[in-house]
Parts: sequence; structure tokens; C-alpha cells
Amino acid sequence: MKSNHAHRSTGSSPVYTGILLFLLAMLPLVLPGGLAAQSQTSPVDGMHSNTPAVHAFTNATIVTAPGTTLTNATLVIRNGMIEAVGRNARIPADARVWDMQGQTLYPGFIDAHSHLGQREPRVELDRGNASWNPQLRAHLNASAEFNSEDDGRETLRKAGFTAAASVPTLGLFRGQTAVFSLNDGAPADRLIADGIAQSISLAQSREFGFTYPTSPIGVIALIRQTLYDAAWHRDAHQAYRRTPAGLTRPEHNAVLAAMEDAVSGRQPVVFDVRSDEELLRALRIAEEFGLPNPWIKGSGYEYRIADYLKSQSVSLILPLTLPAKPDIETPEDALNVSLAELRHWYLAPENAFRLSAEGVQFAFTAEGLDNPADILHNLRHMVHAGLDARTALAALTTQPASMLGIAATHGTLETGKSASFFVADGDIFVPGTRIMDVWTEGTRHVVNRNPVHNPAGVWAVSASDDRINGELQLTESRSGRFSGKLVRDGEEIELMNVAYDDDTRRLRADFLHEEGGSSTMIRLTASLTDNQLRGWGERSGEARMQFQARRTGAGAQPEARTTEMMARTLTLPNIRPAMEYGRERLPEQPRHVLVRNATVWTMGPQGILENADLLVREGRVVEVGQSLRAPRNATVIDAEGKHVTPGLIDAHLHSGVTGVNEVGNAITAEVRMRDVLNIHNIWMYRQLAGGLTTAHVMHGSANAIGGQNVTLKMRWGGLSHDLPLDGARRTIKFALGENPKRVGTDRYPNTRMGVEQIIADRFRMAEDYRSAREAWERDQAGIPPRRDLRLDALVDILEGNLDVHSHSYRQDEILMLMRLADDMGFRVASFHHSLEAFKVAPELAERGIGAVVWSDWGGFKIEAYDNTNYNARLLHEAGVVTSLHSDDSQIATRMNWEAAKLVRTGVDREVALSMVTSRTAELLGIQDRVGSLEPGKDADFVIWNGDPLSTMTIPEQTWVDGRRYFDIREDAELRRAVERERADLIRLIMEAGND
Amino acid sequence: MTNSHLVHVMQSVMKTVLLALLLTGFSAMTALAQTTPAPRQSQPVALVGGTIHTLAGEAIENGTILFEDGIITAIGVDIALPEGTLTEDVTGRHIYPGLIDGWSQLGLFEIGAVDMTVDVNEQGPVNPNVMAERAFHPESRHIAVARSAGILTAVSSPGGGLVSGQSAAMALDGWAWDEMTVRARVAMMVNWPNPNNARAYSGQVDELRAAFADARAYKQAFDAAVAGNAVRPGFDSRWHAMMEVFDRDQPVVVSANEVRAMQDAITWASEENIRIILLGGRDAHLITDHLRETDTPVLITSVQASPSRWWESYHAWYELPRQLHEAGVTFAIVGTSSAANANRLPFEAGTAAAFGLPLDEALKSLTVYPAQILGLDDVIGSLEPGKHASLMITDGNPVEYATQVLQVYVRGRKSDMNDAHKELYQRYLQKVQEYQGE
Repeated sequence: MKSNHAHRSTGSSPVYTGILLFLLAMLPLVLPGGLAAQSQTSPVDGMHSNTPAVHAFTNATIVTAPGTTLTNATLVIRNGMIEAVGRNARIPADARVWDMQGQTLYPGFIDAHSHLGQREPRVELDRGNASWNPQLRAHLNASAEFNSEDDGRETLRKAGFTAAASVPTLGLFRGQTAVFSLNDGAPADRLIADGIAQSISLAQSREFGFTYPTSPIGVIALIRQTLYDAAWHRDAHQAYRRTPAGLTRPEHNAVLAAMEDAVSGRQPVVFDVRSDEELLRALRIAEEFGLPNPWIKGSGYEYRIADYLKSQSVSLILPLTLPAKPDIETPEDALNVSLAELRHWYLAPENAFRLSAEGVQFAFTAEGLDNPADILHNLRHMVHAGLDARTALAALTTQPASMLGIAATHGTLETGKSASFFVADGDIFVPGTRIMDVWTEGTRHVVNRNPVHNPAGVWAVSASDDRINGELQLTESRSGRFSGKLVRDGEEIELMNVAYDDDTRRLRADFLHEEGGSSTMIRLTASLTDNQLRGWGERSGEARMQFQARRTGAGAQPEARTTEMMARTLTLPNIRPAMEYGRERLPEQPRHVLVRNATVWTMGPQGILENADLLVREGRVVEVGQSLRAPRNATVIDAEGKHVTPGLIDAHLHSGVTGVNEVGNAITAEVRMRDVLNIHNIWMYRQLAGGLTTAHVMHGSANAIGGQNVTLKMRWGGLSHDLPLDGARRTIKFALGENPKRVGTDRYPNTRMGVEQIIADRFRMAEDYRSAREAWERDQAGIPPRRDLRLDALVDILEGNLDVHSHSYRQDEILMLMRLADDMGFRVASFHHSLEAFKVAPELAERGIGAVVWSDWGGFKIEAYDNTNYNARLLHEAGVVTSLHSDDSQIATRMNWEAAKLVRTGVDREVALSMVTSRTAELLGIQDRVGSLEPGKDADFVIWNGDPLSTMTIPEQTWVDGRRYFDIREDAELRRAVERERADLIRLIMEAGND
Repeated sequence: MTNSHLVHVMQSVMKTVLLALLLTGFSAMTALAQTTPAPRQSQPVALVGGTIHTLAGEAIENGTILFEDGIITAIGVDIALPEGTLTEDVTGRHIYPGLIDGWSQLGLFEIGAVDMTVDVNEQGPVNPNVMAERAFHPESRHIAVARSAGILTAVSSPGGGLVSGQSAAMALDGWAWDEMTVRARVAMMVNWPNPNNARAYSGQVDELRAAFADARAYKQAFDAAVAGNAVRPGFDSRWHAMMEVFDRDQPVVVSANEVRAMQDAITWASEENIRIILLGGRDAHLITDHLRETDTPVLITSVQASPSRWWESYHAWYELPRQLHEAGVTFAIVGTSSAANANRLPFEAGTAAAFGLPLDEALKSLTVYPAQILGLDDVIGSLEPGKHASLMITDGNPVEYATQVLQVYVRGRKSDMNDAHKELYQRYLQKVQEYQGE
């Protein structure tokens, strides 16, 4: 039986043919979706369609363009195009006429950055000449990847959109964007413009697993490398095409080839960012690579940097999303909400307004909103918050049309343009106004419909059955919802399940009939024409009945639901950072500052001076000495009884950056911490409050060779790119021991032996790389070598331009890197943590390598067990330049106390303080600028209420660049202001209701 | 010289043993013994001429403190010394009671990232029967480091779960845990659930209530049997261990930081009619009336830390002790969770002083107050006749960074002031000298 079946199904047996026919019969069931997608070149199936496509919309209010409104005007469209628009437009004889009395026509909205048709993108690209890294997908086109199925067009249409840019969703380089009409039909027919921009995201996609890049630093490094690679790809192929003979063929990389226009400045790049900080990062990339006028799809936080954006050449695309109300359900919940979150909730609706007030141009996108009602709701909130309605409209019409290069056909209602518009029953910026119809290229889509009939009113019933004879009273409780009662012999019976469908004009209602102590349900249904109902009913278990009814009285209008928008009673100034203790502007820099009568720890050749004065001019130290003359108009501070020290420096910190480790590779010399600075960092304020003015912000310790660090100043109130200390030595993080060993289960290295080998191996690579580049510089022959940012950094180390600061614990690994550096010919600037540095103090001293240690940490892991709080003392005594560090945001707020602990171990007081000032500066290569109070150095200093090495002492003022960034009295005022603002905002949230 | 040489040889031997143990998969808990316990006090000792900060009254200038068999017998200016008294001149020095770390993991914790060296969290949520002193490792190298900073008693405490076990007050000198135990079963440790974990919170509080209800039922049955009214219940180690809690004999230390956790814990304790002490107390300044009026003391952990809420002041936690002091709430300042950092305890109180806590209160928050709160004030916390001779000789206030702790006595034992840190310094100083001599 079994073999028989198998035999038959291999031939064209009747059974097989039957199955085939059955499958063919199934096809039409599958096709209707496909039929709708016929394009202009598709053959016609069945009857072809030629319904007239000429329409005249009369008596309309027409907003032809933002700021231009015609009343009592006519719009004529023909075959999807506008034929005429105006007060006196002639109505063609062949036009279907639509009376638009009371209606307003708007140009269709254009979404400048949607993911239309990009649902469920292909993750695997395992064919062809793609890139090594799955995050690089620049060769994909939104048009070719477009999927009409559930593409999101209906959601957008319901909010008045008629066209949208479609941006791919996956990867860092996500591919080419395209503009599609929101009409139904085949993608080929809907495509308005193709290849309009290359999309770059600043967040890697998790779909590709946890591989390089795993972090924001890695993301930016890979974007940077890829932009270099794209330019190299172009140049390499040019060179190869000229003279291929004898040359190694450069790789043909589809991703890099697809980016040629973008890197050559011929195609816009559109960045997708998630925060104001990421926006700045995108701008910095654009600047670094000369990408003209980048487009940036923002996050809603742009108002925070509006003052900066006004000076930038950038095309913004703002989201229409608004943050949810912060959770303040209980007072305890409210305690846990930050002022930053409260402020953002209040200010997000002002985002567009604040940008437009600074003259920054923008388009809108509905990306992130799945409910069309939210789109208009949020737009109205933005207008309510101050945005000019005309600007709002432009951001949805003319602005995106011109950005996307479709202004010739879209964006306004003018003769010759696309008949893409929508009809609203009033001014769309007035709450309650509804979008009725959306027309895409001449095709109507009904969004809302006013009922043709309405059953509300009083109806006199006459029926064959006395049980329903009486008066029906129907009321419309709210739009489209009805309730009512039957009044019969003075008795009022509540109707149940009242429903009316205006499409079919059918009314339904039930009621309970009481008779002889029992009740039965009577179910009615009727057809409505103007003032007459013809119906029938059924009483359970009995014969059916017929009835008719005549309207004898009108129904009351349902009460219009007015949505009251929250009164915007607060005026919140823009502060930076936009959080607790943020400032409206940088503290002023007085031309002269004179601090008088203090004990001044100069940390320079002058030592500690009693009763001394410190004179500052324009942010630099002029002089420290006794009885200095105050220049005219100098800011004079009497510091009698107080101590003044240089601003403290932390040699090792990780706060104020977005992510610390790039763990996607054991060697990540290309990543740079300065790429990911984040000013929304409360620790910076707290560190200032503790007298810290400079910090070496480092990569983490996951990799044998980690990333490049950044030395920054605590310029609280500045932007991220204002923070780095210009002229500081460039530094890079290395890491030895347990941490680089234990990342991942299958990542090299796995032993301390392997740590040594992988470091050595990469330096050998870097040497070869350097030779190749030098040969090219010399001969300019053949294919130009590719620039490798990872190896560049290693070459910089070899050439003494990049200082190595290495995480370490045990003496063996410290000695290993010292010897390796000796062999390779580079210098290690310092070993950090280095709990066992004291065991190799002579070796460190001999090479002039510094040690950066804790005053008293240890015991947290096996390699940290042999610690001693006398580490710093012994290192110092052995002649090693020694500094303290925190490696901890909190400890960094009190580095003077860390120094003070060394005094307990027997370290000289001035030496102890030097380990958080002058010696730290020396190790970081910033001693020309900071670390001591000497003429010409930066005026970074702290005024303490006593001996800075005493338990009892706290900082009163912290100055950076001759500006007072922290003042203990101002802090008290700021704290009260923070509390007040929090209270105001929490009250507003409670009052705001659910709107 | 011979002594120190012996120590070196011993260490070298032990290191070899340690390595062998590690290689054969044994625990790394077999750490080096850094110091040898001091011998028990064998003759009366009088410290003469120093300033004695008894913390039971005014400081005594140029005073004498006398102790015998580990117990203080007299303090004053003119004290008759018994025959055979060993007299030490401490003129110009200061004498303070030994500091108490009221919440510590000393002896239970060696290396954070090496599980085998950490005996803090027992399996499961309810472990009232485990007792800290039974696992106290006298050879932990952190003990001598803490001791030479003046911390002479540690209330070592289990952690984890809901009911973690019982803490014990340990004297930080001695040969083994039995003789080092000042008092066992000092408190029952409870972790109050986290109210910010809104979904789980009520359920976890319920679980805690249920454990106490079961324990109470056990005690009721047990008491009934003792009174001859019932058959003795089957023995339950967990509930048996909790009986003293219901007699209010043993306090319950409840870790709670958030305002809801603290208030809910106090309400729970009053319903249970048990005596509680809060541990943590970050938000305590918000409910000082509640704390004071219910006589709920607070053990403040890590003053040198910053609030997690951005809007709170940078010194919110530095000034919490001052706020509680001014509001009349009973409190002590206790340690951080890592035994390796136990020596930092005096600096925590120093920071409280910098931010407004009177300096003598700062000292008491490390001595008198933890002793009172944890029921140890009959033996430690202040210098008074009849109390343990656990004290330190310094050149200044121990909460000041620069202060040197010159000598400590632990229950009359004159402790070795060496510790692992100093020993490593001395050892590698030799290397430096050798290399510099080349």
C-alpha cells in the first residue's frame, strides 16, 4: 500500500493531477492582495478599471500652503493631479462634485523619516559581496526591500499623511532611503523618489548578536572606519582601473561601493539618534568627514541644544512623540523621579517651538507613534506649547518635501502637483477637529464619516403588538453611541443594546417586558429613513411582530467633548545640563580674581605659603605671593583662615561617558572615549563640590588594548565637546590580568601569557602597517593602503604620540608589560590600580614609569588580595612618580580625603596632596596646564574651609579656568530651586489629568 | 629579629601550602596569618599620663587607667596601683575605647570575587538558626588591618535572604572564635524587601510575616509544653532559634533604606511586638518623628557615599548623622559590607563630623551608641570600671585621617600592631633598599 502510493505520486497519475488542480483552484484566494499591487507594466487580469478620476471640491476652505488659506474655494483634480485651485476655479463638466461646505483641505502630510514598508527586514545577508560586519548594510535599498504587506500606510493616512520617506531599520549603515506614496498599489507605482539618502544609526542592532561593536564607543569607531573604508574603496578601485597589471585586486565590497556618493558629499546622510548627546556625536562625525548639511532624525531632546544648533548646518527631523507622564503615583514614587525627567515631560512639547524660536528649520516624523490619534494630539500639544501653526504645517508639508527633493510634486496644493491632500472638518490645530477623508494621488480613503442619518429623537410607535406600542425616546450619549427608553402607558422601560449603524441605517434595541410576574426579552430591529422607522421584533418563545415609528421630536445634540489642554503656567529656562543643578550659562570669568590671606598650597616650587594671595587674570594664574595688589575691578575674595590648593585631578574615572568598554575585540585601540562624553552626569557637579577640576576618563579594562581615553575639565554647564582639556597628552588604556582574560568564553586571550602575546602580535602588525604606509607616502605607487584606525593608534604609541596607561594588579604582569615595551620601543606612562606595584617599585623607578594607585582598596578579587595601604608610600620612597585615582564616581568627589589617608601611612603631607594634583598632572602629561598654582597655569583652584588633609575640611569654592563652578552658598540656593521646580512640576502632573 | 624571621619563614611555608591547596582545588580561605594573638593579660596594667576619653563623662587629663584580667578596674587621676602593675607612660597620648563595627563581615569574608572565601549568605530565604561566630575565621588578614585602625569589636553578621541569621560581637584578638566571641546571638538579621520592586514587594513582606507567624506558633507550642499543658513540639531548628526574638530579648536588625521599607518595618515590628533596629536608613531623615517616637534606632551604613537620587544634595548622606542627632533619633555609624575595608570605619564618622555632627557624637557613634543599641554596653563602648579593657592609644582623635593608632589592647591583650599591609611594606622595602644599594 505504502509503496503503491509512492509509485503513483511520482507520475502524472489522476490523483497527482487532482492535487495540482486543487492547488491552482486555491490561487485566486491568495491573489486579491496581489491584484491590488498591479503596477503600470502589469498585464490586466479580468476587467480593467476606468472609473472617472475627475473631482471638484467646492465651497472649501483650502490651505494651499502653510500660511496661505483660500476660503470658499474650489479644488479640481484629474487623474491624480491638481488641475485647478482657487476661488474662481472652473468646475469641469465631467467632474464629480463634492460639496466641502464647512470642510478644510490641507496638503497631504509627508513623513520625513518613517519605517514604512520596512517591517521584518532580512537579518541574514549571507550571499554576495557584503561587508564583514553585519551592521554594515549600506547596499540595501528601502525601495528594493519594501514590503507593502501591513506597511503602516493606513496609520499614517489616518493622521493626514499622503507620502513618507521609508528608512531601513537594521544596522549602523542601514541603506538607502526612498519616498513612497501612501496610496494603495504596487511599490513600483508608489515610489516617488529613490536613493535619496544614506541612513546611519548611532545604535547597533541587537539582531546581529553581541559582536563588535557592542558599545557606543565601538559604534562611532566603526562608523568612522567605514567612512574611511568607503573613500579608500573608491580610490583603490580608481587606481586599479588605471593600471590593474601587477596589482592585487582591491576587494569589491558592495557596502562600501554603495556609500561612494555619500562619502563624496553627493548624497545626503540621514542620522538616526536617540538623544541630544547622540545628535552632537552625529554632527561631529559629519564635520570630521565633511558631510555637508547632514540630516538628523532627532529624539525630542533637541530643545536642550537649540542655541548650539542654530549655528549648525543641519536638517532636523523631529519626532512627534511625547514622553509619558513621570510616575508620581505615590509620594515615594515622586521621590525617585529626577528633575531631569520631570523637566523633559514638561518641555518636550516645547521642543519644536524652542528650535523655531532659534531659527532652526525642521521637518516632523510620526515614527514611534502607532496610534494615528496620538499624532494629531501631540502636534496640537506642540502648537499649544508655543509652536506657530504655520511652522508646524510646514514641518509636515513643504519642509519635508524640499528635504526629500519632491517639492515639485508634493507639499502644497498647486496646479500640476499631486492630488494628495486631506479633508478636515475644521482647523486641525483645534482639539476635536477630525480628519474626514485622505486623498492620495486622486484616490479617496475615508477616515471619519459624519452620519447621514441619526435615530436620536422621539418616535411614536404603532405596532401590531401592544407590547411595543408607545413612545421610543432615543438619545445620542456621545458621538455614535445611543441609549433610550420605551414609554408605554406612562411606564418607562430602559432599552438595552441600543445600536445604530449608519452605513446600513439599521437600528437595534432590546427591552425586558414584564407580564404576569415573569419577564421576557423583546428584541427589535428597524430600518431608518429620515423620519421613519420600519421594523420588526421578536419576543422569545412567541410569534414575531412588526412595527413602524414616526419621528415626532428631534433629539438633543450630544455634548461636544472638549479636551482641555493643560495650562502651561511654568516658564522653565533652558539649563545645561538639563537636570538637577544645571546652569543657564557658564559662570562668568572675571578679568581679575584675587584670593587673599589664604594658606596657599602652590604644589610648585613656592611650596606652601601662609597668608598668601593668588592673582588670576582671564583664567590663568598670574602670581602667588604676599600682599599682592588688587587690579582695578578685580573680584577679591578674602580667604583668611582658609586654604587654597590647585583643583584636584583624578587619574582614572569612568563617569560622564555612555558606556565604558567595547568588548567586541581584545584589541580596540580605535575607540575613543571623547566620542561618547555625556554631560548629563550628576557626578560632575558632585565632583566639583568636592574640589575636583580635571579627570582622566578612561576606557574599561575588558581588553588587553582598550580604547583612547580623554582628559577633561569639570566645565559643568558646557557641551560635551567643551569638556576635553586641549593640549593634553593623548592616552590609551591597556589592561592586564583577570579582566581581559575573562571576557567571553571563547575570546583570546585566556591566560596572562596570551595577554602578552596578543599585545606583541598587534604591535608587529602595526610595524608592518607603518612600513606599508611609509612606502606609499614615498612612492605613491599602486593601490593606496587602507587607513586602519586600530593600527594607527598602535603606530602612534610606537612613535611616542599616544601614552599607555595600563590597568594591572600583579607584579608579574606589570613587569611583563614593562619588558614588552622595552622590546617594542615604546614607553608605558603609568600602571593603574597596580596593587602590587610596590613589589616592582625599583623597576618602575628605573624606567620613569608612574604608578596610579588607590589609597586603600583591595581584597575584592584574588589578584587584588596582596594589597597594602602603604603601596603609595613605598612607591614614592622608591622614586616612582605616584598618583592616586578613584576609578569610582563617588570617591572622585573627595580625592583630598584619599590623599589624607596616606598621611596615616606616613606619607609627607605635601607629597600626599601632590598625588591628587601635581604628580597626577605629570603622569597625565598635563602639567603645563594644571596641577599646581604657578604663573601661566590654568586658574583651577579650590578654596577649603581648613586644612585640605583634615577629616573636618570641606571645599567652599571650586574654580576652573578662572570661573567659579561651585560655591557652597550657591549650592544651597540651587538646591532650594531644584526642590521648588520639582514641586511645581509634580503639582502640574497631578493636575494634568489624563490628557 | 628572630620573631620576625620566624614569621617570614612561617609565611613562606604557608604560601607553599596555600599554593598546593589551590592547585589541588582547596579553598583559598587558608590565608596567611599575619599576626600572632597577643597573650592573655597576666598582670595588672596601668596606662599613665594620657588624656582618657572615657566617653562616659568628661575626658580625664593626665589620667590613669588600670585593668586586670582584661577588665578595667579603675580610671582616674590618682589611682592606687596594685603590686606588680605594669605601668606604661602615655603622656601626651590619647586613650579611647576601642571602636565597634556594628555591622561587619569580618571573619566571614576574605576575597569578594572568590565565593569559597565568603561565608555570608546561607541557602534559602529563612535562616534564623545560622550563627556568625561559628564560621568566624580568626586568621583572616582583614582582622589585623581593622584592629590596627582601632576597631576592636566587630559585630559580624550573616546576610542574604529574608531572615539571614544571627550576628555575633567578636573581639578582634584571640586564637579562635570561641574565645573571641564577646557575645553570641547579638541580633537576628532580617532583610526588608525592596518596595521599589513594586510587583514582588507585598508578596515578599507576606513571606516574612508568615515566617514569623510560624515561629511564633512554634514558641507558643513550646511554651505550652514547658508549662505542662501540651506535648513538646517536634524540634524545628529555624523556629527554635527565633524564640528569644519574641521575648524581646534579642533585637532584630532590619536592613531598610527607603522610606516605605523603614515605616513598614516599624509597623510590622510593633504588630509582632519585637524589638527592631534599622540598618541602612538612607531616608531616615524623612521620618525622624516616627523613629524617635517608636524608639527605633538606626545603624547608618557608609556615610561616605552619595545619594542615588540626582536631586538630593551631594552631601545628603554625609549629613544624615547630623540630621538624626538633631532630631533626637538614636543611631550608630557602622561599616561597609566588605571586610577588606573595615579599617575605613573611623573616617565615615569623620565625614559626619565634617558635615555638622559634633565631634564627640561622631566618636560615640562608633563606640557608646553601637554598644547601647546592640546591648553590648555592659562590657564595651566606653571606658568604665567593670567593662572590658578594649582600648587604643593614639596621638589624636581616631576619626582624623592623620591620627596614628599607636597601640591597642583587646580585653587586656596588648595586640600586635603589625598587619598584612605593614608587613608587605616592610618586606618590599627590603627589595627597594637592595636595588638602591646596587
